[in-house]
Amino acid sequence: MTSAPTQSAPVEPDPTPAGDPPLQRILIATGRVARHAGLPVVIALLVGAVVLLATGNDPIAVYGRLATEAFGTPSRINATLAATTPILFTAIAAAFAYRAGVFTVGVEGSFVLGGLTAAVIGANMGGFPPVVAVILPLLGATLAGGLVAAVPAVLRAVWSVDEVVTTLMFNFIVAGLAGWAVQSFFQERGQANSATAYVAENAELPALAPPGQTSWALIIGLLLLIGYAVWMRRSTLGFEFRAVGSAPRFSTAQGLRVRTVLLTALLGAGLIGGLGGGSHALGIVHRYSEGFSASFGFTGIAIALLARFNPIGILVGAILFGALNAAGATVQLFINLPVQLIDILEGTVMIFAVAVFAFPRLSKRWAARSERRRP
Amino acid sequence: MIDAIIASALTLSVPLVLAALGGAIHRRAGVVNIGLEAHMLTGALFGAVVSGATGNWALGALAGLFAGAVTGGLMSLLITRLKGNEIIVGLGFNIVVFGVIGYVLRAGFGVSGTLQIEGLERLPRLDIPGVADVPVLGALISGKDPLFWLCIVLVPVLAWLLKNSRWGVRLRATGASETASSSLGLRTLDIRDGAGIIAGALAALGGVALSLGTVGLFNENMTAGRGYVALAAFYFGRSRPLPTALACVLFGFFDALQIRLQTVGGFSADIISTLPYIAVVVVLALTGIREYSRSARKLS
Repeated sequence: MTSAPTQSAPVEPDPTPAGDPPLQRILIATGRVARHAGLPVVIALLVGAVVLLATGNDPIAVYGRLATEAFGTPSRINATLAATTPILFTAIAAAFAYRAGVFTVGVEGSFVLGGLTAAVIGANMGGFPPVVAVILPLLGATLAGGLVAAVPAVLRAVWSVDEVVTTLMFNFIVAGLAGWAVQSFFQERGQANSATAYVAENAELPALAPPGQTSWALIIGLLLLIGYAVWMRRSTLGFEFRAVGSAPRFSTAQGLRVRTVLLTALLGAGLIGGLGGGSHALGIVHRYSEGFSASFGFTGIAIALLARFNPIGILVGAILFGALNAAGATVQLFINLPVQLIDILEGTVMIFAVAVFAFPRLSKRWAARSERRRP
Repeated sequence: MIDAIIASALTLSVPLVLAALGGAIHRRAGVVNIGLEAHMLTGALFGAVVSGATGNWALGALAGLFAGAVTGGLMSLLITRLKGNEIIVGLGFNIVVFGVIGYVLRAGFGVSGTLQIEGLERLPRLDIPGVADVPVLGALISGKDPLFWLCIVLVPVLAWLLKNSRWGVRLRATGASETASSSLGLRTLDIRDGAGIIAGALAALGGVALSLGTVGLFNENMTAGRGYVALAAFYFGRSRPLPTALACVLFGFFDALQIRLQTVGGFSADIISTLPYIAVVVVLALTGIREYSRSARKLS
């Protein structure tokens, strides 16, 4: 007997158009993403505007300032891309699992343990040749991320234990263990907050445009995104992922490898999350410290849902949230604006990404139009 | 020493019990409430502000209760009427509420994180004459605040209501099968909204217990993950009031132990903080495996 998911993914993935030339497919996908993501983003901006107005700020001026802080100059674009990098990884991780209808919220934990592992290995890479010094910590980080997901994955695939709560709990377990491990074993002397030593210089992922923080981690993330897109579309297991995700009972009846899919989905999300944490440690912060992940795992969930698991949508969403994070970090230096505004915007987007708006007439018109376009 | 640990474990478990009972009711109606943390923080803020403005703890507690009912109802509407996934809405709701409160503290009150309020009245402690000096028993029941006694009353009352009252039966029916219940003419969405409002209100009272109980101030991080511990507790207690409350007392005991050991030294607070979560994974795994083998036996 094979198990059917107890809790389905929170949004349906978009049907992927096939057969068209790639460029056209990309355009169609982009249009779809804009349509799905547009409303949540607009609602979030409205909620933010209400909060801003209530505290006597001009929303349009603030949003304009945020936009220039995110994209105004090359160095600000660099900062935005640096902030995009970690959430690109976590978004891919979430989308990977959600595609199979597996609803993990444990990417945060994988990211954290991956980061700690990479930082600890990276700090001991002093004499190693440059490529090895980078690959070993990343490998360790990836494995650590997978390890975090292992227990929920086995419980889910073998005994149908609901993965939502187990993965959520593992986030807290990992947070506690990481704090304990840093304090007991890896604490760097003379550091006020609990942080590990900086990684060796040859273990750092080099910056792409040196004064800026954007590093090779972004390239790894982009390659991973392409890999995700191709794998979902071209591989057998990728097909089974989509089948199990959209019709679990039918897939069981058809003899698809449901158990393998569930196990791979959860483990894969953990591995990707771990790699993300490792890249973040080697590429940007160069060590592990308390507050290493600013809820990147949860931001990744919001992006994956907003994009409906579409690769292009993931990239666009990650840049959008990266821009918010980068702009939020600096905008408070110029105007007296609490950085919490960014949280309000992010959380609202997350909520409304899964809300279903019943506009029967509008959606009927949309359906009719796409019918006409694709006979 | 043992008296001190008992007393502090019970004090620490009051916010957990209130939030977890709310979560358990919501769970019985079929919704996993991830937003308990947000409701607790809302309750803590409103309780502190209103208690400070009026100089009356009861008014503060009521204000917290109502604020939590509003946030609980709002979150429930997003889940029931806009069909938002309960987990995502809950996570997002936590982020938004923490953002709004952090923003208002800085932009409205002009403080960064901690709000100290002049004239705030804390929850009174009810000393029971004659018992207060008896070892163990004194620590168990004397010197407790009204919310502690509310918990003591709520556990049996809620258990009875869930089991016997019309409301409880309909609530459980909705949770057991929404389609069957609505085909019988129950207003399942309204029932869920009601449960969401109660969950928010109770969790907010838990927040009041934090801000008006021991410390008498508000801090934006004062819930410190207690909403998630409460979630762990009602999973551990399988959403039944008494086991849920006992799980909270157990987790409160862990917390008291951790504070105690911190002062003594030797043990890591971080490790002890993970115990509730590990306990939940173990319980979920055991129940899952048992149910799985039971259904497999039925099939063969």
